[in-house]
Amino acid sequence: MSTHDLNRRQFLAAAARAGFGAFVASASSAWALQDPIANPLAVYPNRGWEQSYRDLWRYDSTFTFVCAPNDTHNCLLNAYVRDGVVTRLGPTMKYGEATDLYGNRTTHRWDPRICQKGLALTRRFYGDRRVAHCRVRDGFKRWVEAGFPRGQDGRPPVEYFNRARDQWVRMTHEEAADIVARALVNIAETYSGDAGAERLKAQHYDDEMIQTMRGAGTQVLKFRGGMPLLGLTRVFGLYRMANTMALLDARIRGLGPEQAVGGRGFDNYSWHTDLPPGHPMVTGQQTVEFDLSAAEHARTVVVWGMNWICTKMPDAHWLTEARLKGTRIVVVACEYSATSSKGDDAIVVRPGTTPALALGLSHVILREKLYDADYVRRFTDLPLLVRMDTLKMLRASEVFGTEPAALDNQTHVLAAGQAAPAPGVQRDQIVPAALRAEWGDYVWWDRRTNGPRAITRDDVGIRSPLADPQLEGAVEVTLADGQRVRCRPVFDLVQEYAAHFDPKTTEALTWAPAAAVESLARHLAAVPGTTLFAMGMGPNQFFNNDNKDRDVLLLAALTGNIGRVGGNVGSYAGNYRVALLNGSPQWINENPFDLELDPARPARVRQYWRAESAHYYNHEDHPLRVGTRLLTGKTHMPTPTKSMWFANANSILGNVKWHYNTVVNVLPRIEMIAVNEWWWSGSCEWADVVFAADSWAELKHPDLTASVTNPFLNVFPRTPLKRIFESKGDVEILADVGDAMARLTGDQRFSDAWTFVRRGETVHYLQRILDASSNARGYRIGDLETKAQAGVPVLLMSRTSPKVVGFEQVVDSRPWYTKTGRLEFYREEDEFIEAGENLPVHREPIDSTFHEPNVIVARAHEAIRPAGPEAYGVARDDLSNEVRQGRNVVKTAAETVASAHPLAKDGYRFVFHTPKYRHGSHTTPIDTDMVAMLFGPFGDVYRHDRRMPFVTEGYVDINPSDAKDLGIDDGDYVWIDSDPSDRPFRGWQKNKRDYEFARLICRARYYPGTPRGVTRMWFNMYGATPGSVEGRKTRPDGLARNPRTNYQAMFRSGSHQSATRGWLKPTWMTDSLVRKEMFGQAIGQGFLPDVHCPTGAPREAIVKISRAEPGGIGARGLWRPAELGLRPRYESQAMTIYLAGGFIGD
Amino acid sequence: MARVYNWQIGRDMSYWYPESRPKRQFAAIFDTNKCIACQTCTLACKTTWTSGKGQEFMLWNNVETKPYGFYPVGWDVKLLGELGPQTWTQGAYDGRTIFEAARPGERALGWLPTDIDYANPNLGEDDCLGQVDGGAMFSLPHMSWFFYLARICNHCTYPACLASCPRASIYKRPEDGIVLLDQSRCRGYQECVKACPYKKVYYNAMTGTSEKCIACFPKFEMGLQPQCFVNCIGKIRLAGYVSTPDAARPENPIDYLVHVRKIALPLFPQFGLEPNVYYIPPVHVPAPFLRQLFGPGVVEAIAAYRNAATDLDLSGLLGLFGSTEQVVTSWRREGEVTIGRNDRGVEVVRTPLREPVHIRAAFDPEYAVARTNCP
Repeated sequence: MSTHDLNRRQFLAAAARAGFGAFVASASSAWALQDPIANPLAVYPNRGWEQSYRDLWRYDSTFTFVCAPNDTHNCLLNAYVRDGVVTRLGPTMKYGEATDLYGNRTTHRWDPRICQKGLALTRRFYGDRRVAHCRVRDGFKRWVEAGFPRGQDGRPPVEYFNRARDQWVRMTHEEAADIVARALVNIAETYSGDAGAERLKAQHYDDEMIQTMRGAGTQVLKFRGGMPLLGLTRVFGLYRMANTMALLDARIRGLGPEQAVGGRGFDNYSWHTDLPPGHPMVTGQQTVEFDLSAAEHARTVVVWGMNWICTKMPDAHWLTEARLKGTRIVVVACEYSATSSKGDDAIVVRPGTTPALALGLSHVILREKLYDADYVRRFTDLPLLVRMDTLKMLRASEVFGTEPAALDNQTHVLAAGQAAPAPGVQRDQIVPAALRAEWGDYVWWDRRTNGPRAITRDDVGIRSPLADPQLEGAVEVTLADGQRVRCRPVFDLVQEYAAHFDPKTTEALTWAPAAAVESLARHLAAVPGTTLFAMGMGPNQFFNNDNKDRDVLLLAALTGNIGRVGGNVGSYAGNYRVALLNGSPQWINENPFDLELDPARPARVRQYWRAESAHYYNHEDHPLRVGTRLLTGKTHMPTPTKSMWFANANSILGNVKWHYNTVVNVLPRIEMIAVNEWWWSGSCEWADVVFAADSWAELKHPDLTASVTNPFLNVFPRTPLKRIFESKGDVEILADVGDAMARLTGDQRFSDAWTFVRRGETVHYLQRILDASSNARGYRIGDLETKAQAGVPVLLMSRTSPKVVGFEQVVDSRPWYTKTGRLEFYREEDEFIEAGENLPVHREPIDSTFHEPNVIVARAHEAIRPAGPEAYGVARDDLSNEVRQGRNVVKTAAETVASAHPLAKDGYRFVFHTPKYRHGSHTTPIDTDMVAMLFGPFGDVYRHDRRMPFVTEGYVDINPSDAKDLGIDDGDYVWIDSDPSDRPFRGWQKNKRDYEFARLICRARYYPGTPRGVTRMWFNMYGATPGSVEGRKTRPDGLARNPRTNYQAMFRSGSHQSATRGWLKPTWMTDSLVRKEMFGQAIGQGFLPDVHCPTGAPREAIVKISRAEPGGIGARGLWRPAELGLRPRYESQAMTIYLAGGFIGD
Repeated sequence: MARVYNWQIGRDMSYWYPESRPKRQFAAIFDTNKCIACQTCTLACKTTWTSGKGQEFMLWNNVETKPYGFYPVGWDVKLLGELGPQTWTQGAYDGRTIFEAARPGERALGWLPTDIDYANPNLGEDDCLGQVDGGAMFSLPHMSWFFYLARICNHCTYPACLASCPRASIYKRPEDGIVLLDQSRCRGYQECVKACPYKKVYYNAMTGTSEKCIACFPKFEMGLQPQCFVNCIGKIRLAGYVSTPDAARPENPIDYLVHVRKIALPLFPQFGLEPNVYYIPPVHVPAPFLRQLFGPGVVEAIAAYRNAATDLDLSGLLGLFGSTEQVVTSWRREGEVTIGRNDRGVEVVRTPLREPVHIRAAFDPEYAVARTNCP
């Protein structure tokens, strides 16, 4: 009998005790003898039975744990235990007791913090999809045991790689760790040095990718702890593992610590398309944001493409309570959304067009001169001059012949060779001298003297000298060498560009009514600094997301709304800012050659691993080349992906964008996929090795997390719950592999790197992080864990609670992390000029549009001079998907609206977008029955229609009139197909076997809230795999559940990712963008994971929809609710009266 | 049939048993404007009380989207259709209650759902009335709209389930007015399931008995709010006791909102059950539909709610919702702070109108470290 069975039985037994079976069976027969009950309103004779419910409520003990899917909330929950089994969960109700080191305290308005998905965890801790023990795929095991046979080109024989269809072999943790260690060593050896490079060349990898490895075979090993802020040791530990791979490289290539190279770490925030990539383009740092509780300090909150009440559920009350207390809530969405129903105003727009909306709003403000002139002068680059000949910013050195000024405004220029202090103790901004010299100083035109004047990056905020700068019109500037150049202020360029987006044009492009544009613009400008723009994932998941950021930040700057408690911009997606604990390098980057084993001393840090964006893996493992041009910057260059090991991540594989192309065409080139999991996800289906990890309720090693949307610092406390299965902590799994590596290589340092884990003293690593972090130093991990066990978090010691990014810039006149020290709306770097995006422009979406994709919408403009297709050696009319990504073609709004998507003629007429919803946090826990039955309108816990893959299923929301036109009834099954050239996967036409599980079939729902032409499918549902299709076809109950793994799909075949694709935008991949480093105050340039990095565009797909089967049970007739006359467009007479309120007359 | 007084419809009406009010009546306020349909309440209830065999479909607490959402399917449309259009005149209901419209031989007008009627428990989720075909701008009230309606047993003053039970297995507890269905006496005739207009009694085929919401009386007896209240992250709910209008105490938060400010209204008062869950109607929904659901007071209730920004008593009291697990039976506002007390007069919660903003020094000399918002 397995532990699994035993514990499941225990759970069921406990559940039965918590049910009615017992006492109902013993129903008293004495009743028959009693007097009739005269009036049960007044008197009831025998109430002894009530005790049964009191018994049901009873519990033996409680403990706390942290629920931390990637939803940013990190709720400390109470678990109620009976007979050793967690029977239910609840909120701790103690967020109102959180304090900080200074005695500041929250109130109980923060309570309760929990959600339905958290409550359902009891059914997952004991569920039948728990990864109950480690498993290795049979073919992979045979490949390892056979000594890693390979062909001439280095590739393993295909017979070992029957992923997702193979058998699984149960293993101990030690056996699984050994197999993973062996594979890591073998793969690194295979691809090291010249021989390795030759093999990769023979496998047709891009030369640039091979070269960027610099001979290190460890560079093809990819590691990813998904969203590491969610677990500083257990998740972020994968990067520490990547760092120790330098030991392996040193051994393989016989190098010393100075030359060795570690593994590669995949990105997170950017990988999830959560990064708003335009924020660093304007501010020089990752993201501007505010804790959501700030809502009640604003006069207006514009909820912009964010489904706040669905995705930020425990913080939804801040929004509704703000409205209650007079804050005006304006909701912008591409439908009448859940959050629209909480708005005072709700604006419905065309998907992917809100960059144009921001320009339209800015235009009204500029046209009517309603902008916050003081903010513009003090904090933005808008008054600075741009040379019209080169399109570069005019430098003071060019005009005055001067050297760059010395900087003293909270800034330290770091001489070459000088070392910066550790990130957590940095105060000043740290600018490398070389960059300082390169940037120089800037020039503005003083209207009082009618001449040019220099300005340094110190001169911001109260130090800004700009009293009366020229903002409009060109000037002739005489340079030091006598040359005269035409220059224009950034303001002037932006104003001219935005003028194209007059309200009528804005309406034509965005569908937002012109009157709404005018009135909202005036409202926002009326009281500067009092509007919060809460930006969601919706607009961020389009290809033009950096345009959106730059345009919205422009609007916010014009209205004085960046950096204030009640006036700011926030971008909400993912819990990402690992820098909240900027002492993390103490853990992830401890020098593996020089480990500190004294727990009382800090670690010595050296980063050997290198980061890369997983978007290249998602882009068929190559960079972006268009015609003759390589459009991926060198600092971004990926290496071939030969091994992937990840934890806390289903998005990297199971729910990856373009999933079906990835599993069919990319995975066969990857030699090992290892996953740490506690729930059998889609990623596990495709893995080679699955390690059984502890659930949150079972953690035996404490851990740390914080949040970008609330002010709390949370400890995951150790719990008293005995492990239910054969799981280990994620960090222990890493230590096991470290041990195995030490055994294989004889290098004890692989093992020593995890010493405190093995001793059960992970707290030492955590204390090192706290001590080294700006906003946590002073806290003791032991105190924090004790509080957490009592259900109380603490406040992060950030500058303010709520956190407000930009606060120091506004209040302390601290420069932004940019060249000018200001918010930069002009991007002078070559990549931006070439892309036609030196100005904050609007591009059409790259696929989710009815019009020509990805065109730059502009009138002829002196400063917009992009490199057209011809410059790259491609034809102007080549709109194929690869070329389209680097296609710089300008069209006016009128031309754009008159143009058509190239597939429109073939019936691809529907924008298909895939947002997140209230019933899942990513894919957690949507395959839990109690949650699933409420996910959407098709839930049915008894599955009356046996076609249903589960007790709920995936569906597409479609405008009823569109559906009618297609002959689709409400509730019918439909096929959804996207661009046949590469979706669901390249080559599907000749691959029936894989097409069977890859093509998307789902229910259609008549959804009156979505505009015509716009369809929606929720992101959260598990997609079909070969195993789920096999289950659907072979299981007596017809469930789409893998008979070998219990993986449960919510689709008969395909998923929402059948229609998505990996997309790369050139402006995401520059080598020149200046931005703050990840941790601390130092400034650097070019690629930085999660900061300046591709994001992909998973909301981009144009699709064709066709009827597959009738919706009635067993494919007969109408879906029952429509048949009953209760659905939109099917209303019965009674329903019609009801909708009009007609059952009560006046 | 007896004649009883129902203050919600402003008149006497027929009921199977004579009027007998409990010493105190459990009651609740739900602010629909704050409900986010997250279903945390639903799961809190389900994981506590209905996770056994035979209970799979059962949601003692559910949240549905109005107007296209129902659980079970069509529950209110069907009954309203059978009852036919009715009218109110100056706050009094002229039409027939379900007791008055009962068919011969029955004690209430009702219908019995079949198994499949409980399928699709989140039917109509987020479906709006008023098709949105393109770009649009909606201001209050929204011309396309939906709203969320969280529902539990109303622990009615005149329960139809209680009236209809041929074995008299359903009773009202005199100490708190909670309506319970005696699991040891029930024989599963399902007359209660048929009679309850809100369809908040469910038949369990495994046990052969019917079941319903118990207002978490094991908690309520301890002075704690029920599970669906404590777990409500929208903070829409407040549990306590309601008085009759003539006995209303303004310091009782429920009396204040129901009787003094008249901002919270019963659901389908015209059915005649005097239900004890009171809803603050959604401000963005046109009035006719709301009048049909909540009676004639909706326009005034919405006006009062929309004025809460300058009405500190109202906004202060509404800020207490969801901030304590304990049952608050009296409240008071002191400036910016609202204080709630329990039955014993002990202060159990205080909330500010606005959460304080803490600003820390840019440099902490004690720990020699910068405290920063951009770390």
